[in-house]
Amino acid sequence: MKTKRSMVLVSNDPASQKKGASEVYNQFSKELAAFNLSDEISLTMVSDIHRDDIAPFVIVYPEAVIYGPVKPEDVHHLVEEHLYKGRIAVDLKAPTKQLTGPISWIADRKGTLPAEQRIVLERAGVIDPDSIEEYVIHDGYTALGKALTEMTPQQVINEIKESNLRGRGGAGFPTGSKWGFVASAQGDQKYVICNADESEPGTFKDRLILEGDPHSIIESMTIAAYAVDASEGYIYIRGEYSLAQTRLVNAIQQAKELGFLGENIFGTDFSFDIQIHAGAGAYICGEETALIESIEGKRGEPRPRPPYPTTNGLWNKPTLVNNVETLANIAPIIRNGAAWFNAYGNPSSAGTKVYTILGDVNVTGLIEVPMGITLREVISIYAKGMKNGAKLKLAQTGGSSGSIIPADLQDVPMDYDSFAKAGVTMGSGALLICSDKTCVVDLAKVLINFFRFESCGKCNPCRIGNQRAYQILTKISEGLGTEKDLADLGDISKWLYEMSNCGLGQTAGAPLKDVMSHFVNEVEAHINQKECPAGVCKMSGTMPAQK
Amino acid sequence: MAKPTVASDWLGGCAGCHMSFLDIDERIVDLVELVDLRATPITDLKEPDKAGVTVGILEGGITNTYNEEVAIRMRERCQILVALGDCAIFGGVPAMRNFFTLEEALTRAYVETPSTDASGKIPANPELAKMTLVRPVHEIVKVDVFVPGCPPDADIIFYVLAELAQGRIPKLENNNLMWN
Amino acid sequence: MAKITIDGKTIEVENGTTVLNAARQLEVDIPTLCDHPELTPYGGCRLCLVEVEGARTLQPSCTLPVSDGMVVKTETEKIREARKFVLSMIFSERNHFCPYCQVSGGDCELQNSAYAEGMTHWPIQPNWHPYSVDASHPFIILDHNRCILCRRCVRACGELVGNFTLGFEERGADSTLVADLGLPLGESSCIGCGTCVQVCPTGTLIDRWSAYQGKETDVETTKTICLGCSVGCGIDVLTRDNRLVRIEGDWTATINHGLLCDVGRFLPMVEERERILTPMVKTDGKLKAATWDDALKVAAEMISKHKGNLDGVTSTRVSVEAMAQLRNLCEAFDAKSLLTTEDCQAVSAIYHQASSDQSALEGKVEDLLDADCYLTFGEDITKDHQVLSFFAKRRIPEGAQVIQITDKVSGFDNFATITLKVKEKSLADFLIDLKDLISGKSGDMALIAEKYSLDKDELQSTLDALQSSEKSVILFGSRFDFSNSDAVVSATRSLSQAANAKLITTKGNINSVGAAALGYEGAGKVQADLLLMVLADEDLTQCIEQKFEKAPKRVVFSSYVSPLTAGADVVFPVENWLEQDGHIINFDGHILEQHAALESAPEVYSNSNAIEKLASILNVKNNTDWKKELDKFTSPVKIA
Repeated sequence: MKTKRSMVLVSNDPASQKKGASEVYNQFSKELAAFNLSDEISLTMVSDIHRDDIAPFVIVYPEAVIYGPVKPEDVHHLVEEHLYKGRIAVDLKAPTKQLTGPISWIADRKGTLPAEQRIVLERAGVIDPDSIEEYVIHDGYTALGKALTEMTPQQVINEIKESNLRGRGGAGFPTGSKWGFVASAQGDQKYVICNADESEPGTFKDRLILEGDPHSIIESMTIAAYAVDASEGYIYIRGEYSLAQTRLVNAIQQAKELGFLGENIFGTDFSFDIQIHAGAGAYICGEETALIESIEGKRGEPRPRPPYPTTNGLWNKPTLVNNVETLANIAPIIRNGAAWFNAYGNPSSAGTKVYTILGDVNVTGLIEVPMGITLREVISIYAKGMKNGAKLKLAQTGGSSGSIIPADLQDVPMDYDSFAKAGVTMGSGALLICSDKTCVVDLAKVLINFFRFESCGKCNPCRIGNQRAYQILTKISEGLGTEKDLADLGDISKWLYEMSNCGLGQTAGAPLKDVMSHFVNEVEAHINQKECPAGVCKMSGTMPAQK
Repeated sequence: MAKPTVASDWLGGCAGCHMSFLDIDERIVDLVELVDLRATPITDLKEPDKAGVTVGILEGGITNTYNEEVAIRMRERCQILVALGDCAIFGGVPAMRNFFTLEEALTRAYVETPSTDASGKIPANPELAKMTLVRPVHEIVKVDVFVPGCPPDADIIFYVLAELAQGRIPKLENNNLMWN
Repeated sequence: MAKITIDGKTIEVENGTTVLNAARQLEVDIPTLCDHPELTPYGGCRLCLVEVEGARTLQPSCTLPVSDGMVVKTETEKIREARKFVLSMIFSERNHFCPYCQVSGGDCELQNSAYAEGMTHWPIQPNWHPYSVDASHPFIILDHNRCILCRRCVRACGELVGNFTLGFEERGADSTLVADLGLPLGESSCIGCGTCVQVCPTGTLIDRWSAYQGKETDVETTKTICLGCSVGCGIDVLTRDNRLVRIEGDWTATINHGLLCDVGRFLPMVEERERILTPMVKTDGKLKAATWDDALKVAAEMISKHKGNLDGVTSTRVSVEAMAQLRNLCEAFDAKSLLTTEDCQAVSAIYHQASSDQSALEGKVEDLLDADCYLTFGEDITKDHQVLSFFAKRRIPEGAQVIQITDKVSGFDNFATITLKVKEKSLADFLIDLKDLISGKSGDMALIAEKYSLDKDELQSTLDALQSSEKSVILFGSRFDFSNSDAVVSATRSLSQAANAKLITTKGNINSVGAAALGYEGAGKVQADLLLMVLADEDLTQCIEQKFEKAPKRVVFSSYVSPLTAGADVVFPVENWLEQDGHIINFDGHILEQHAALESAPEVYSNSNAIEKLASILNVKNNTDWKKELDKFTSPVKIA
């Protein structure tokens, strides 16, 4: 296989088309042929990158240089300078966008930069996810090669430990420690499982990694397997992510063909294979022991812990379970070193985090920034402010099991330790940003309904407690609430935490607790004045028909 | 000191708890030495004294708006309210009609029973109490003492009344705690 | 070993012991609902939560393994409130009507837990959403309103019985117990063993007959043996006022460990035959009631007259003692043959083989508990000797293989890894060929597969399974009526040796072994004119009845009226199985003790006593020690 050494992307969006982009493309084709570079350079189209000011533009990889606006007559110079001679054609470089406003003081903070810093999403949206060649061009599989041929499993684990990487699925457990537990566990067979059952409402970060850069997960899982001595791996992927599944199946096939997966990887005596197991629509199967039960063909009910999956996991063997985003950090860390990773974020929370931004803001979507950014910064810089100038009331982090963060905590750095000190959690990184238009009773009701619906039903506090809490919140939202209801909600929230069998139940009470501690006046207005200050709740005076 | 006064009433029940009370047989002679029995469904006074009684006893659950009124009146007029029997505490057997809508239950009773002819229709006189969901008494008013049983044994009822008569709140446990 | 302190008391326990079991050893009582000593812990009800020093939240003691130095508290304020919360949640979830429930008042573990916490009312009311009642099953009623979703029944149906009929569908608050994929219980794959009923803590699963008959405080319990088949399961017989209330599996019994099938648990509840309460003598062609003395005189006269011309027949439901006495009496009068009421030759064939081999090479029931390959043929063990099939089926999730050789539909069809459809008449030959394949004497797999019209790959898999297993068992169901019984038995024995597999044969009825060991011929021909029959309470088939009706004269000891008693000359009333004491020998040679659970009516005696009365009037001394008699014949299985 002859690998292409460079990639040229010519813009293809409507604005570019209007300005002669296809001419530019054709010219590139001609010039590359003229310079006899057609076999080495891949030429393709790219869509909108929100840079109407430089259309038509051209991006060249691996240098990731953006040229624009490019005229057909510029193409010869560009090809000769950059692609033939290997020098960046500085005169044609597009001006970088200037960021203005409140970020000017951020540049002083160590380890953060005003723009996104992409580690896990570095290739997503840039390369063709169905092309293993493009992955390899972008340093793909070099980390695996380094690990297998230059490092011992223990050295790999040490590197991850020193990187201070913590689990990105929501729990924040130190990844290196977990790898250490599995590596030292006794067992004739070990497994590595990638938890791709992304089901927290509002979270779609894993999806982008899986759809945009599937090979990164395969490479990282293989490195993990090498480190802990596992020979089989599973990717448990949410059933609804059909595109990601297709891409992963394709990627696994390609990796095997090139010897990056399967028997004797890189010619060493290390072998590892990956199977894909699709979920079937249960949030609870994102809990690692319920996930394992599901792979074993049983009901997705979490197991009692201890023992933990690190010693007794899939088929009762030592099993490593990591989230997609966590794994996506592995190859970069091995490639660039733990020190490089620690340069991002801060000692308690190294690296970057992908946040999904939703709610009453102008721009929704996702960003990957170093740990430690604040909610205010996210809203002002990336979300471009609250919609219609609304006032920030609260943000709900981490999907349904995160915390409700009132506006007065919007300057707390979003990292594990700072949040823990402030009594809130980051969870999976979804940020649901709410203005005064959100009623906390309604929000709590919606969140509890999610848990009620997704509860596996094994343990009483969660199965019945969520049902009851939902009924009580419905009652309150219909104007039929009493003081006893508040007391009952407090009890349910307390006992959900103390008594539940797994994290779903334990954190189901968190929204209730947070609402009661930060917004109790608003709740009491529903009960005592029969009013919904945000104007959301029906307050109809009757209960809706129930099952 | 005046003897503690006791009043009772029955709501959505079968009167079995009051019959069980009467099963204390000759001990009733001792009982009236300790307490003054005032209004009950089986004595002549029909309303608890307006001035109030010490102990109020309610048998049967809340099945209609009239039951609600009686319960509220009893709560207002007594210091210690006792819920007597499974119907008063859990809803009991009458609560089985909660599985059906009020409409269905009334239609069954007044129109569809085999012995009803074509003239059967649901009574709609405004003076009649309106049927409600069957609920325990403590969903309407605060209850101080719960005496479960179907019916509670005469011995248990005697124990409860004797304790109350001597100024103690009875604690039911072991052989005195039975829900059947 | 690990040290744990619970409520101030310290104990050292094996690694892996749960906190709950450690507490039980310390006699600290932690309430549970979903836990059951015979089932793997589930950790769902959350009633057993305890405070563990250093843990963030309350921990379930039923699943938490003890770690060295653990300090646990079980009775704090927080724990008591937590228990009340769990119980009030459970009561509010479904519809619990205590006043009229069959288990209310002592037999309901949910209610008892509430009493233990001093609950006098429910803090939270139910929704009054109706749940269904499934009364489709002939023995069992399933009332979903009472279910607390503890999953004991699901675990029992899977782990103990291996039938996996019960499961859960939907999730969260919609979770519901279902049979198969949502069938009414009576139409499902349920085999009616009733283990779920025995473990259900509430009144959700109830057996129809014992409902309202008596609570645990009202009944007496007697440990005895089920006489349904040769397995000899230990049972608890619950009686009240000398009436049968319920039969349950005895968890402490060494043979079955609490398992029981519908033959043992439910079928004995229905008895419609007429009971014989006095001796009867045929006078003027009709049976008339008589006193014991008169009846004994008539019988004795008949027996004396028929010396040398009588056959002794025993039911296999009779104790070894009585069988020995009968034989003794028959021998004193030169009986032509000693028969049993069995309907097939299987047991005799097995005994013949053993005595000619001079070897007791069969395994014991323990061998079934941990095998990883089960080869079964001969009878459908899921219909007869069911509990043995439970032991095989429940090992399947652990990776055990079940291979059956049969040409009929069988209860193993949904469970067997491989089914070899070999015709019954070719079974003996096939077993020999299989033996040769295993021992390497013959290697032509394809030829043999073709000979019996089998799939070559399946035959290869069978061989692989037998050869690669760590422990294999041959379960030979010996209630069959092959014309070539001896050949089949002999082939089976050699196959088991070649395959290095434990051989277990089921050997017919409850005391078939006892009869064979005492020298009875089994299902032989009636030769004499007078039959001396000890029928006990056996319910015979028409076929067998007709066989014995051929004899012109009969003296019958029986509990119930039947055609054989109707046409007899003398009838003596005897105890039925529940009134019987004595010993029986089950299929794997265990000598098991029966204990009477009911008292018989005044004129009704035990088989032993009745025979003794007859013997004594005939001046026959009973000098046989049945224990010594057992040594006279080589038994296929060691008797102990």
